[in-house]
Amino acid sequence: MTTHADEILSIRNLTVDFGGVRAVNNVSLSLKKGEMVALIGPNGAGKTTIFNLITNAVRPTTGQILLNGKNILGKSPDQICRLGISRTFQNIRLFPQMTAYENVELGLHSTPRYSLAEAFFRTPRARRIESDTRKKALELLEMVNLQEHAHARASSLPYGLQRRLEIARAMATSPQLLLLDEPAAGMNEDECNELIELVRKIHTSMQYTIIIIEHHMAVVMELCRDSRIYVLNLGSLLTVGTPQEIQNNPDVIKAYLGERKNARDLSAS
Amino acid sequence: MGYINAILILCGINIIAALGVSILTGYTGLFSIGHAGFMALGGYVSAILVKEFGVHFVIALLAGGAFAGICSFIIGYPAFRSRLRGDYFAIATLGFSEAIRLILNNTREIGPIKTGAAFGYMNIPSHTTVLVVVVAVLLALYFAHMFVTSQYGKNCIAVGQDEVAAQMMGVDLLKTKLMALFISAFYAGVAGGLLGFYFAYLSPSFFTITKSSDLLAAVVFGGIQSLIGPFITAFVLIAVPEFLRALAEWRLIIYGFLFVVVMIYRPQGLLGYVEMNLNFVRAGWDKLRRKTGPAEG
Repeated sequence: MTTHADEILSIRNLTVDFGGVRAVNNVSLSLKKGEMVALIGPNGAGKTTIFNLITNAVRPTTGQILLNGKNILGKSPDQICRLGISRTFQNIRLFPQMTAYENVELGLHSTPRYSLAEAFFRTPRARRIESDTRKKALELLEMVNLQEHAHARASSLPYGLQRRLEIARAMATSPQLLLLDEPAAGMNEDECNELIELVRKIHTSMQYTIIIIEHHMAVVMELCRDSRIYVLNLGSLLTVGTPQEIQNNPDVIKAYLGERKNARDLSAS
Repeated sequence: MGYINAILILCGINIIAALGVSILTGYTGLFSIGHAGFMALGGYVSAILVKEFGVHFVIALLAGGAFAGICSFIIGYPAFRSRLRGDYFAIATLGFSEAIRLILNNTREIGPIKTGAAFGYMNIPSHTTVLVVVVAVLLALYFAHMFVTSQYGKNCIAVGQDEVAAQMMGVDLLKTKLMALFISAFYAGVAGGLLGFYFAYLSPSFFTITKSSDLLAAVVFGGIQSLIGPFITAFVLIAVPEFLRALAEWRLIIYGFLFVVVMIYRPQGLLGYVEMNLNFVRAGWDKLRRKTGPAEG
C-alpha cells in the first residue's frame, strides 16, 4: 500500500462487530493534512462508531488505523489524545460541575506540565505555568465566543453554547486531527450559521484537519464545499464525492429516504 | 482540660484521615470503605519504627504514611486496571482493609517484634499532643488544598465527573487514580500513626469497618469536592457524640436519619462544591481585570 507523506489519517479496511451486528464494514478512508471532510449517513450507519474506533473507545475486529503513517491501534484513548486526535461527543460530555473555563483548561493540562512535588509546594515555575495555561484557556474561550460565560457552570449553559464549549475543550489538547460529532445537532438556522463560521475559522486559522459528522445537510454542504463527503450506510461506505455529486447520487437518496414516497426532502433539513 | 484535649486530638486525627478520603472520594469520585486499613498500616509501621528502631516520630509518621500509600497500590493497581468503579471498588477496599485487620489480629510477632495480635501493640512512646495534632492538621489541610487546586487535582476532579470524557481529553486514568489513592492512603496512614502515638497502644479492633464508614460519612456529609466540608463534619462527628454521651445508644439512629435527610435534600453534601479558596472572589477579580484591561502579563 502506498502512504503519502502528507497523509495524516489513514483508515484501512476497518470492520467491527458488536455481537452479531456488523456496525462498521470494511471502511477505508484517508485524509491529507489540513483537509476538512464530512461523514454523513442515516442513523445507525456507523458514523459515531468510526469516531469511537479512531479514538479507541471501541476496538475494531479487523483493520488498521494509521496516524501520520504510524499504527495507533491498541493505544489507549488518552495516548491517542496525546498523539494529536481530539473529539467532541454527539451527546455532550462536558464536565458538568466545572465552569466553562475549567473545562477548557482541563484539555490544556490533562498531562500536567509540572511535577507533583511542584504542585504541593506551588513553586514559581508551577505558578508561571498555571498563569500561561489560564491565558491560553481564556484565548480559546474567546475563539469560540464564550468569554462572557467563562465562570458559568458548564451544565448551566444553553445547549448551543455547550456544543461550542466542547469544541474549545477539544482544541485545548492541541490536536492535529479534530473529530466533530454532530456539532450542529439541535441548533436553529442562526446558530448553524454561527457554527459554520466558527468551524471554518478554526479550520483556516489553526490549520486543523477536521472530520465532521453532521445531519444538518446545509452545514455539511457549506463546510465541505471544496472537499469531499463520505456517505455511510449500514456500516459500509456507500460513496465518496463532492457535495454536488452526493446530492445527485441516487444511492444516497435511497439510503436516506428509502423508497417510500412520503419521505422528506434530503436538502430540507 | 485533659478531656477537652483528648477530644481535640481525636478530632484532629479524624480530620486528617477524612481529608485523605475526601481527595479520593470527594474529588476523584472513588468510594472507599477501607481507609481504616490504611490507618492500621500507617499506625503500626510508625509505631514500630519509633519503638523498635528509635526513629524520630515525625519521620516515622511520614514513613508510615508512605508505607500505607505504597500498600494502596496492591489494591489500586488491579482494581483500576480492571476498571472497578463505584460499589465494586468500594467493596474491594473493604475486603482489603478487613484482610489487613485480620492479619494484624493473628500476627503475634514479626520476627523479634511483638505486635501482640488481638491484644494490641503496647507501650508505644507517646508523642501526640494537641500542638502536634494542630500542626499536622494545618499541614494536611494546606497540602490537600495545594493538591486539589493543582493541575493534578483538577484532573482528579475531571475523572470524578466524567471518566470517559477525561480519558478522551488525554487524562491518564490509571496514573491519576493511583495518585489520588496514594495521597489518600498517605493521609490515613499518618492519621493512624498519630493515633498510636496518642493512645500509646494500637489494637486491630480500632480499625474496623465502622472507622472506615465514619470517615466516608464525614466526606459524604461534609460535601463532595470540598475540603472545608469534610473538615467540619469530621470534627463534628467526633466531638458531638462526646458531648451527648447520654444519647450514645441513639447515635446510629440519628446518623441514619441525618443521612437520609442529607441524601434527599443535599445529595452533594452540606458544603458540596464549596471551595475554601473562595473561588467566587477570584472569578470577580478576573472579571474586574478583564474590564479594566490586562494589568499584568
